[in-house]
Amino acid sequence: MDSHFDEELKKVKRDILQMAAMVEDSITKSLEAIKKRDISMSKAVQEIDREVDKMEMGIEETCIGLIARHQPVGSDLRFLIGVIKMNNDLERMGDHAVNIATSAAYLIDQPRMRPIVIWSMARNVKEMLRESVESFMTNDAVRAQKVCEHDSVVDEMRDETIRVLLTHMLEEPDKITSAISYIMVAKNLERIADLTTNICEDVIYIAQARVIKHHAEEGGKKE
Amino acid sequence: MIIETKNLNLFYRKFQALNNINLGIKANRITGVIGPSGCGKSTLLRVFNRMNDTIEGIHITGSVTIDGEDIFAPLVDLTMLRKNVGMVFQRPNTFPLSIFENVAYGPRLWSITNRATLADIVERSLRAVNLFEEVKDRLKKPALSVSLEKQQRLCIARLLAVEPEILLMDEPCSALDPIATSRIEGLMLELKKRYTIVIVTHNMQQAARIADEVGFMLLGELIEFGRTDKMFMNPSDERTFNYISGRFG
Repeated sequence: MDSHFDEELKKVKRDILQMAAMVEDSITKSLEAIKKRDISMSKAVQEIDREVDKMEMGIEETCIGLIARHQPVGSDLRFLIGVIKMNNDLERMGDHAVNIATSAAYLIDQPRMRPIVIWSMARNVKEMLRESVESFMTNDAVRAQKVCEHDSVVDEMRDETIRVLLTHMLEEPDKITSAISYIMVAKNLERIADLTTNICEDVIYIAQARVIKHHAEEGGKKE
Repeated sequence: MIIETKNLNLFYRKFQALNNINLGIKANRITGVIGPSGCGKSTLLRVFNRMNDTIEGIHITGSVTIDGEDIFAPLVDLTMLRKNVGMVFQRPNTFPLSIFENVAYGPRLWSITNRATLADIVERSLRAVNLFEEVKDRLKKPALSVSLEKQQRLCIARLLAVEPEILLMDEPCSALDPIATSRIEGLMLELKKRYTIVIVTHNMQQAARIADEVGFMLLGELIEFGRTDKMFMNPSDERTFNYISGRFG
């Protein structure tokens, strides 16, 4: 039979999964708001974000309480430390979704542009988020490592998006403000991808007690 | 390594209390030994100054060296060994003498009789355990009249008076409240600069707080030994994790 502490750890895991689902929904709605030119979706993102913020505070409080009361060690301690960081990363993803929704509220009233790569980038970012959460659920460091490696693909897509949009800006100066908004969307998506790699680094830490951020295992710092 | 055991086995008649212990303890470190009751940790501690020798039916195989010398060699002077390797017990074993005489007891056994020399040793030893200022005006009072924590510090001072190299501590804080425990732990951290400390403790958090290295014992075996942070963040053996996380024991 699981101890009371084990039950509390399981509940923390469930809460993080619920929060991740809300953040993914928020990202989806922020992008749909641009695609479908639907202001209600943009507003919905703001509401979800308020719930995500509440969840973040609740999860953090629970984790701190568990550390204080149970003084966990080994994988239990790594799990709670990892969750605290992951919790923060998910909340920041929610903030980036709000930024995208804010750009959407502006873009809705502007002439349409078709930066196709941005939608492909969005699909990749959402897949990275799903995979990072799956790797957390299954405590799968190998799966998490693959997500980290995929980050460079998203970085390339961001660069491609910016290159295409800069061309638009040169050719159609009246669309400069819209193009800048799309660049902001691409930038926010790229930051979300970075945060999914943070989650995966936490998964690897929880599963294997390895610190891979800043190329720590190679004794150096990421450029 | 200041203490090293190789293939150490200890039997109480037919019962094997220590099973093939291979361990290296470094100088000027605090080494913690943890494990459930009856796992052999106190027995192991008592091996290091041969306190088990008096128990009938004891049989030891393998080797234990301190500073490279085999402590079970035929010509080992047990008195010298126990002077060099002192022990602190769960409850302070204060002698029913004055505070001064408790600390002077060891040096007197070593034929130091000069009053001024003894006074100097007593003061130095009491200062080393941060007790001198508190008791300097009542050195002639009975040692049993001070608090348990002060008695425990006094017992440590009594060891220091004969200038040991290694301090063995068997649950030294188990009779103390958290504040007194904290003071003794602080004292241990100071003492490790000059002495090597081996502590047996049931209190996992105490081992985590003060030990540089920790060994986990179970049923007479040393299951895992290594750096304290590694042991508490990422133990190698599942039995260690189950014990330190309170899932058994």
